Amino acid sequence: MTGRLPHPRNWPVTVKVPVLVAGLMVIVSLLVTDRVLERLVETQERHLDALAGTYLDGLSSAVLPDVLRADVWEVFDALDRARLLYQDLNAVETIVTDTDGGVIAASDPRRHPSRSRIADERYEALPPGHVLIDERRGEARVRRILTYQARPVGAIDARLDVSGLLAERREVLTTLLLTNLALTLLMAAVGYLAVRRMMRPVQVLSDHLSQGQQGRMVLIPDRELAAPGTEFGQLFRRYNAMASAVNEREMLSEQLAREETLASLGRLASGMAHEINNPLGGLFNTIDTLRRHGEKQEVRERSIELLGRGLAGIRDVVRASLVAYRSDRAAAALTREDLEDLRVLVEPELRRKRLRIDWDNRVEGPLALPGGAVRDVLLNLLLNACAATPEGGRIGFEATTGHRVLRLVVEDEGPGLPDKALAYLSNPQASRAPVEDRSGLGLWMVRRLVDERGGSLEARNKEAGGAWVGLTLPERAPEKAEELRHVA
Amino acid sequence: MGTWRGVGSASAGGFHRMTRRRLLAGAAVAVALPSVALAGAGPLRFGLTPVFLTNDLDLLSRLKAYLSRSTGRPVELVLRRTYQEITALLVSDQLDAAWICGYPYVEYRQQLALLAIPIWQGRPFYQSYLITGAGRQAEGLADLAGDIHAFSDPNSNSGYLVTRALLAERGERPETFFRQSFFTYGHRNVVRAVASGLADSGSVDGYVWEVMTGTEPALTGRTRVARRSEWLGFPPVAAPRSALGGDAFEALQRAMLSMERDDDGRAILAMLRLDRFGPPEVGDYRAIAAKAELVRTLG
Repeated sequence: MTGRLPHPRNWPVTVKVPVLVAGLMVIVSLLVTDRVLERLVETQERHLDALAGTYLDGLSSAVLPDVLRADVWEVFDALDRARLLYQDLNAVETIVTDTDGGVIAASDPRRHPSRSRIADERYEALPPGHVLIDERRGEARVRRILTYQARPVGAIDARLDVSGLLAERREVLTTLLLTNLALTLLMAAVGYLAVRRMMRPVQVLSDHLSQGQQGRMVLIPDRELAAPGTEFGQLFRRYNAMASAVNEREMLSEQLAREETLASLGRLASGMAHEINNPLGGLFNTIDTLRRHGEKQEVRERSIELLGRGLAGIRDVVRASLVAYRSDRAAAALTREDLEDLRVLVEPELRRKRLRIDWDNRVEGPLALPGGAVRDVLLNLLLNACAATPEGGRIGFEATTGHRVLRLVVEDEGPGLPDKALAYLSNPQASRAPVEDRSGLGLWMVRRLVDERGGSLEARNKEAGGAWVGLTLPERAPEKAEELRHVA
Repeated sequence: MGTWRGVGSASAGGFHRMTRRRLLAGAAVAVALPSVALAGAGPLRFGLTPVFLTNDLDLLSRLKAYLSRSTGRPVELVLRRTYQEITALLVSDQLDAAWICGYPYVEYRQQLALLAIPIWQGRPFYQSYLITGAGRQAEGLADLAGDIHAFSDPNSNSGYLVTRALLAERGERPETFFRQSFFTYGHRNVVRAVASGLADSGSVDGYVWEVMTGTEPALTGRTRVARRSEWLGFPPVAAPRSALGGDAFEALQRAMLSMERDDDGRAILAMLRLDRFGPPEVGDYRAIAAKAELVRTLG
C-alpha cells in the first residue's frame, strides 16, 4: 500500500503543510504531556509522602509503648482506631512487627496473625522512610522503623491504596492526549484550509496553462485576477500578457501559413499552366497541320495520335490536381497513389528548371495517416527543394514504411537551410517558428504535422551541400486505421 | 449471699481524719475515709469497671445526673482501665461505691459490702460466653485448644475466671492450652478482637455480648457463641464495708433501688437493658467463689 504513496517531497503543498503542522503539534503535545505527568507524579508522591509520614508518625507514637510490651490488643486497637482516623490515606493493610520480624498485630489479623512472620514478598527489602509505588497493584508501600532510646524495637509496614492517584494520572494522561489530538486535528484542518485558500491562485494559473496546451491560451478573466499589489496579482497579469502575445503569434502564423498555401498554389498553378501551355503549342500546330494536310491519311492519323497524347498529358495534370485538392479526401488514408500524384504535380517545376528527381516510393497499401495533410506538407517540401536547387541539379524523394511508421526524406542541392530553420526543425521544444523567413512557413507546417501525429523530424545540411529533411510519422491505432480505410 | 454481708462500723479516727482532710483543702489523696464523715461535704465517688458499656458517654452523663439528683449530692464517676484499679480504689475506701465484678467481690468480700444487685431478664444472674469467629464450628472449650485467646481482664469473672476454672478442671493453664492469650481490658474489646480475627476465640461477659447484639449487630454477627457457662451472680454494686450504714451508702442504695421508679432512672435501665437494681439479699456469688477457690488450689 505504502508503495503506492508518492514520496513526501512530491505531496501537494495542501497536504505537506497540515502534515507538518500536525507533526509539530504531536511533538509539542508529547513534550507537554511528559512535563505535566512528571509534575503530577512529583506532586502526588510529595503529598503521599507527607500523608504517609503523618500516618506513621501518629501510629508510631501510639503503638511504641505497646510494641515495647508486645501488647497485641493495644497495638491492634491503635491500628483499628488509626484506620478510622486516617481514612483519606486508604491504608489497605498495616502491620506492626517486632525486631525479629514477628507480627505483633496487623490491621487484618486473618492475613497476618499475631506471632506469625511476614510471609509476603511485598514487605521484603522495603527501604524505610520512603513511599514505594507499585503501579501494577495500585499500591504504595511504606515502612517506619520504631526506635526507643536509639535502638530499633520494631517496625510499621503499611500498604496504601493509591489506585485513586494512579487513576488520576491515567485520567490526566487521557485528557491531555484527547485535548492534544483534538488540537492537532484542528490545526491540521485549519492549515489545510488556509493553504488551500492560499494556493487557489496557483490552481487557477495551472488550470489556464493546461487549457492553453490544447490550443489558444486562455486569459484569466478580470474577476479572477488577484489584487495587483499581491504576488499572484502580478503573476496573473504577466501570464495574461504572455498568453496574449502567444495567441497573437499563433494567429499570425496561421495567417502566414494560409498565405504560404496560397503561394504554393500559385506556383502550382503556374507550373500547371506551363504543363498545359507546352503541349498546347504542339496541339495547335497539329491542328494547323490537320487543317492543311488533313486529307492525307497518314498525316491525319499521326496528327490525331499527337492530339491524343497531348490531351492525355493535360488530362493527367488536371486529374492530379483534382485528386490532390478534393476536400473530402483530405482526411482519407494515405495511399501510394497520393504520393505518385505529387510527382505529377512537381513535374512542371522540375521540367522548368531542368531538374532531375530521384523518386523512390515504396509505400504499398493505404496507411493510417491523413493523406491530404501529408501531401500538402510533402508538396511544400518538394517545391521548396525545387526552388532551392539550381538549374540542372538533382532533388531526392524517399518514402519507406515499416513497423507501422512512414519515413519520408526530401533532399536537395541548394544552399542548405538557414541555422534558425535547422534549430526550429530539430528541436521539438521550439515554439518560435522563424516566421520572418518566408521559406520558414513551410517548415512550420511540417513541424505542426509531425507534432500532431506524434512523429519525429530531423533536418540537417549535407556536407556536400544541400538540405536533408527526414520525417517519421507513426500510423494511428489499428482500429482507427480500419475506420479510415472504410472511409476511403 | 447474706454470708458475706458485713456491717461496716465508723472508724474511730474518722473525725480526726476529716479535720486533717479539711486542712489539706480537699486533696484527693485521702485514704480510708468513712463515708459518713463525707456526708454533705464532697462529691460522691462512684466507680465503674469496664464491665459495662463505658464507651457510651451519653449513658455516663445520664447516670451521673441521676445519681446526683437522687442523692442530692454531686457525684463523680471514676473510670479506670482495669478492674484491679477500681477494686483497689474501692477496697482502700477511695470510692463510696463501685460497680464491680463478682470475682473481685468474692476475693475482697471481707472488705466489701453489697449495695445493689442488677436484675437482668428477671434474674440476678448472667453467663460467661466462649465466643469464636462466626464461621467456626467449635462447641465447647475442647475445640479451642491451640487458639489465640482473648480474655477481658484478669480480675473479671466472665472474661477470665470462668475459662480459667474450666481449664483448671482439665489440669490446664491458659499458657499451656492456648497458643497465645492476651487481655483486652474490656468485654467489647474481646468481641472486637474475635470479630477481626486478631483472636481465634475469647472469653466474654454473656450479658455484654447479648446487649451488643442489639446495639452493634455487625460486630457480634462476626462472632458466635461456642459455649455458655452456668448462671452466675451478676456483677454487683459494692461499697467498702466500712461505709455500710453510712449516709453515702444509704443514699446511693436508695438511688439504685429506686431507679426503676424514676423516668431518668428507667431511661438508664433501658440503655443498660436491665430490669432494675435489686437489694443485696438477692445476690448469690457462691459459684464464683467456688471457681476462685478451684483456681487457687489447682493453679
